Amino acid sequence: MKKVKYLLLSGFLFSVVACDKQLDIEPLQSVSETVALDSDANVKLVLQGAYDNISRDGLYGGNLFRDAELAGADGEIRWVGTFGDPRDITNHTMDAGNNDAENTWRTAYVAINTANNVLSALSIVNESDRARVEGEARFIRAIAHFELVRLFGKPYVAGATNSQLGVPVVTTPTRGVTSDSYVSRNTVEEVYQAVHDDLHEALDLLPEENDVFANKYTAAAMLARLHLARGEYSEALTEAEAVIGSGAYSLVSDYADLWNQDDNTEEAIFSMQVSNQDGANELVTFFSIPEYGGRDGDIEIEQKHISLYDASDARLAMFYEGNGALRTGKWRDQYKNIPVIRLAEMYLIAAECKARLGQSADEYYNAVHTRAGLSAKTGVTLADVLLERRLELAFEGHRIHDVKRLKGSVDGLIRFRPANWKPIRTSFRITAIN
Amino acid sequence: MKHFFTTALLCLVMAVGAYAQRTVAGKVTDKAGEPLIGASVTVKNTKVGTITDINGMFSVKVQDNSAVLVVSYTGYSSQEVAVGSSSTLNVVLGENEQLIDEVVVIGYGKQIRSTLTGNIAKLTNENVKGMPVVSVEQAMQGQAAGVNIESVNGKVGAAARVRVRGVGSINAGTEPLFVVDGIPLAKDARNTFGAAMNPLADLNFNDIESIEVLKDASAKAIYGSRGSNGVVLITTKSGRSGKSQIELDMQYGFSKPTRKREFLNSSEYVELFTEAANNSDDLEGVAYDESYSWTTFVKNRFRRYSGYNDDWMQGIDKTNWQDEAFQDASIYNTQLSLSGGTDKVRYYVSANAGFNEGILVGNHLSKDGARMNLDFDATDKLKVGVNLAVTRTDTRTVSDDNAFSTPMQLVALAPITPLRDEDGLLYDRPVTTYYNGLIDVEDATRKVFSNRTLANAYGDYSFTENLALRVEAAANLYNVRDEARFGERTDTGNDSKGYGQSVFAGATDYNTNAVLRWNKAFDSHDLGLDLGTEYFKSTNNRTSVQGEQFPSDGLKTLASAAVITGGTSSEDNYSFLSYFGRARYNFDRKYLFNASARIDGSSRFGANERYAFFPAFSAGWVVSEEGFLADNSVVSFLKARASWGQSGNADIGNFRALGLYSPGSYNGSSVFSPQQIANPDLTWEKSTELNFGIDWGMFNNRISGEIDYYIKNTNNLLQEVPIPSTTGFSTQWRNIGELENRGWEFTINSNNLVGAFKWTTSFNIALNKNKVLSLADGQDIIDNGGSRYLNVVKVGQPIGVFYGAEYAGVDPQNGDALWFVNEEGGDEAATTNDYSEANFVVLGSPLPDVIGGIGNTFSWNGLTLDVRFQGVAGNQIHRAGDIFMSCNACWFDNQTRDQLDRWQNPGDITDVPEARLGYSNGDIGRSSRYMSDGSYLRLKNVTLAYDLPANLIKGVRSLRLYATATNLLTFTRYDGWDPEVTTDFLANNTTYGVDFYSAPQPKTIIGGIRVGF
Repeated sequence: MKKVKYLLLSGFLFSVVACDKQLDIEPLQSVSETVALDSDANVKLVLQGAYDNISRDGLYGGNLFRDAELAGADGEIRWVGTFGDPRDITNHTMDAGNNDAENTWRTAYVAINTANNVLSALSIVNESDRARVEGEARFIRAIAHFELVRLFGKPYVAGATNSQLGVPVVTTPTRGVTSDSYVSRNTVEEVYQAVHDDLHEALDLLPEENDVFANKYTAAAMLARLHLARGEYSEALTEAEAVIGSGAYSLVSDYADLWNQDDNTEEAIFSMQVSNQDGANELVTFFSIPEYGGRDGDIEIEQKHISLYDASDARLAMFYEGNGALRTGKWRDQYKNIPVIRLAEMYLIAAECKARLGQSADEYYNAVHTRAGLSAKTGVTLADVLLERRLELAFEGHRIHDVKRLKGSVDGLIRFRPANWKPIRTSFRITAIN
Repeated sequence: MKHFFTTALLCLVMAVGAYAQRTVAGKVTDKAGEPLIGASVTVKNTKVGTITDINGMFSVKVQDNSAVLVVSYTGYSSQEVAVGSSSTLNVVLGENEQLIDEVVVIGYGKQIRSTLTGNIAKLTNENVKGMPVVSVEQAMQGQAAGVNIESVNGKVGAAARVRVRGVGSINAGTEPLFVVDGIPLAKDARNTFGAAMNPLADLNFNDIESIEVLKDASAKAIYGSRGSNGVVLITTKSGRSGKSQIELDMQYGFSKPTRKREFLNSSEYVELFTEAANNSDDLEGVAYDESYSWTTFVKNRFRRYSGYNDDWMQGIDKTNWQDEAFQDASIYNTQLSLSGGTDKVRYYVSANAGFNEGILVGNHLSKDGARMNLDFDATDKLKVGVNLAVTRTDTRTVSDDNAFSTPMQLVALAPITPLRDEDGLLYDRPVTTYYNGLIDVEDATRKVFSNRTLANAYGDYSFTENLALRVEAAANLYNVRDEARFGERTDTGNDSKGYGQSVFAGATDYNTNAVLRWNKAFDSHDLGLDLGTEYFKSTNNRTSVQGEQFPSDGLKTLASAAVITGGTSSEDNYSFLSYFGRARYNFDRKYLFNASARIDGSSRFGANERYAFFPAFSAGWVVSEEGFLADNSVVSFLKARASWGQSGNADIGNFRALGLYSPGSYNGSSVFSPQQIANPDLTWEKSTELNFGIDWGMFNNRISGEIDYYIKNTNNLLQEVPIPSTTGFSTQWRNIGELENRGWEFTINSNNLVGAFKWTTSFNIALNKNKVLSLADGQDIIDNGGSRYLNVVKVGQPIGVFYGAEYAGVDPQNGDALWFVNEEGGDEAATTNDYSEANFVVLGSPLPDVIGGIGNTFSWNGLTLDVRFQGVAGNQIHRAGDIFMSCNACWFDNQTRDQLDRWQNPGDITDVPEARLGYSNGDIGRSSRYMSDGSYLRLKNVTLAYDLPANLIKGVRSLRLYATATNLLTFTRYDGWDPEVTTDFLANNTTYGVDFYSAPQPKTIIGGIRVGF
């Protein structure tokens, strides 16, 4: 009996000093941040994560383009859905709590942070891939900042100092919350410059081919956009022509074949990859109808838009009647890729720059114009190019940016007033806490 | 613990027996004459004693005729018997009539109530047995002071919310820790499709011997980081030595809703909506007969809703959609138990089967289970035992309250719409206004199959009469399979030729503990010391697969899905490692002292704060033991007690302290992306609680009760603190903020009449005041209410306080809805018809100020009538669904009949604004327009029973016939369905009192028979 006694007692004492290793339980669906950046393979997975970030609904997954179109709707399209946030964007009555605007803001900085994490771990990446990885991370950081500044900042004024406030430029990864985490807004000039610098670095670092990810021409195409936005037409022309001249891309002969594709077309310079397994296509959600996997047909196309087209324009065939209204067929089927930049835009940038620089825009203009089944024009004017741009790139997220850039008007507003984009306050409201 | 005492007593008998002078023998029985085996018989003021044998017999030596025997038995009130000159004594013990002396289960032990220094509410089998509800906490409702139990709605199988002494957290858990026979039972949602299922539903509460709710810090601090929301200890029955007793209980009954609301009939519907359309046309200056007028529009809609004909003009009520949402619900339950034992082995074995239909169409639950509890005296010193329970629960669920497919949303459909077309098919849109949820009942299956095994084993070894060790190992094995299949006609399945989902989730919780107990009593001193250690690990996994494109609705499994659209698996684990101790010292049974401490380590806490320390101290003074009260004829018991202690809330979720990357996929390959920012300082929430109490008994304890006052302060509140989004993260989990619950609790138990006609009363009432003291620095409010809901967390207010615009009624001149402007320092009476000009103000609290219950039991000659009321007072309810169904015909949802009081002509005084189709005129969720007083008093339970005289029928020990009704009557001013409500899809820590198409409670009537052999 004595033995039992001691056995029990010693068992008890043993259990009292039980090892606290039992408390080290790691999550199984996630990895800690040290693990995520500790090997070549993992850093590359994080880089892919940055693409995943920009493919979310708040950015190129759809809402970024949807909101740019709604904000510039001007009676050409109509929001009839039940969601209040897009309605407020359409009506320019957004308040500080607009969830969609906040989502876009947040998602862009998520992507920026992911890219910064990759850039912080470059030394771990195999030397042979290091330039490419750095180039891709810089490219993503650049485009996220670029989308932010042109959406939330006041317009860039060509030739001016642009000391108006833009958005914060963040170039270090977040590891904890410190007083440094409370950053302030950079000027529009500073943001554009940071974007420009990252894109230029990326242009040098990136290879000519890189599967569906960013390559040299993707960076050049984005640079063309940036220069156009800054009114630097000869630089924009150079970059656009570099892409066109590379031969890496060609215009799809039938306009309708550009859309609802599982794979990138030969015209696609950069697209978000969407399938039923991953990626988001919120453009379908809002532009399409339930029959094809959309919501209730929340965005309707109005006659005001249709009347802009020539009756023989092949692009008119993209419109279809569904749920009692006209819809665009660009975003009809679910789980399809979302083109972010395509070659036609480069032709149109080149054409616009030529027109503005007093050169003939005919060639570049007609490449796009005749593809739409229209006869070629000579003596193409700037106005011709801008109309072509509006029709060719309709509902692809360019509208409000073009309105701002061209000092146009929307819904009778003299020009789009960025003051209506209040989420910049929303996101900074929280700096009051702590 | 009982066995420990008896073993100790045996030793005592051997040690001191030699001094006795003469022998008294006798028998101890219960009131039915059954012998009580193992009852303790001691001679008062000596250490002499014995226990009864298998026939209830004892013999004990006493000094002289003045000796007094103290006879006690677990679950029975002890009795003192003067020996006098007799040598044979027969003692009949009554059950629990004098609560002062009952044995109470405490954390890792047992104690006599009179020596307690903490606050513990105890319920026994009698309080819950035979109730026609699914789970134990529903049966407990209204019976324990300070324990607020609220069903979220009337769906069968839905979890009820249990709040001990108020709401204790904003973002961490608020449920008490449930411990069943030593197994902590995580009451978290582990089902997968819709609102939380309830793990306590897997427990057959007829097997329960007692339920102890540990409420104050001194009682619960021994549970450390899991104690702060209170601890509910559930002990199942064990067998008693003696011949086998078989009990069979069968009941059958039916349920219906406690209340229905009144909706417009066809002619009222057509009248109101035509008027609404006319008003909108007037507003726009459009002639009614214009093709684009609202009036033309509404006529087209009427036609459509009639099934594209003109039947709507006839004023025929085609469908009462509210009636279609409910079904005649039947209930049956069968319960069989067998218990008994020899002097070495005791057993309790039971089996149960039941079927509960919910009042909502398509909602039902069936449950079968079995239990075996065995206790075995291996040697004089070693006792071992096993408790094993298995349960299978199958539930057919319905959608959450916010889904078009949930039955309650049928009320939105128009009364002019027929149910089915000529082919007998249920009408759907566009004929029905919205999706017809009955299609889900016909063409969808959503079933949850769960299996749970609760097993524990213990060994209890006495080294000496003073020192013993108890080791327990327990497992909670749970798996649930959730099969959902939506046919082609359903809303979920119609764009994918059928949709199916199969989810398999499992949880395995292990718990082991060891407690070393030391006890010593000498002279007037009574000392006790417990030391223990405990380890808990929980493993949770989940696997799911989804598919679309089924060839036929008849094929239910995913094997038939042409396309598998998704599939995933996951696992989540957490653990606790704990050390605890408790010291007890009583002097002269008058002065009671208690101290406890626990150290908890958890995988959930950050690296810098891995271990937590929780101390508690308490003291009691039994005033009635003092000389000046000793022979008081009125006051028979009086004790004052005070306690202070700390406990924690570790229910903060897993891995929230870590900096994490989550995997995802892009372009068909896997990716990592930052998911959560680290906080190595993250830790438990800490509650510090002060409690003062008085236990009293009068007239030989015929009336007894407790009064308690407590202040519970919780800080280190877990909060998802917003951080600048520019970091790439939106929030970080931090321990910040503070809240307080303070209140009073009163209980009274009284044996009003004790003769042939017996009348007992038990009464409890509790007042609690909840207040948020601080949030993050500079933060005044957490407002997730959006445009529809009112609950917020606001500094200085109770959690979940209603906050929004204050409705000011209707402008008698033009029928506009008005709100008070409520500008700070402005004119208090100022109103506006522009909602955006109305400032938000605190509108009321959804948490009751007062909760309570009163039960009366009358018995006479075998007849027993049990009448129990339960109620809450001082809370408000937000009828959030009324923005659709009571919006003065703003859109085509059928309206409640009170909307007929709408404003029509200048000068009309009413609260219902002018009807304007397609316009918003007062139909704003974020306003007090749809708030009601939520106080109610409910006739919770009435049972009328007749017990046939014992042994009337040969071989039948007892026979009881009974009828029970629950929720028979509800007294309330609430305007919605039922005042016990929080819509399931919002039921979180900070949302209370929101009614959004929530099913009312069932009113149930059953009849039953209970036979004992």
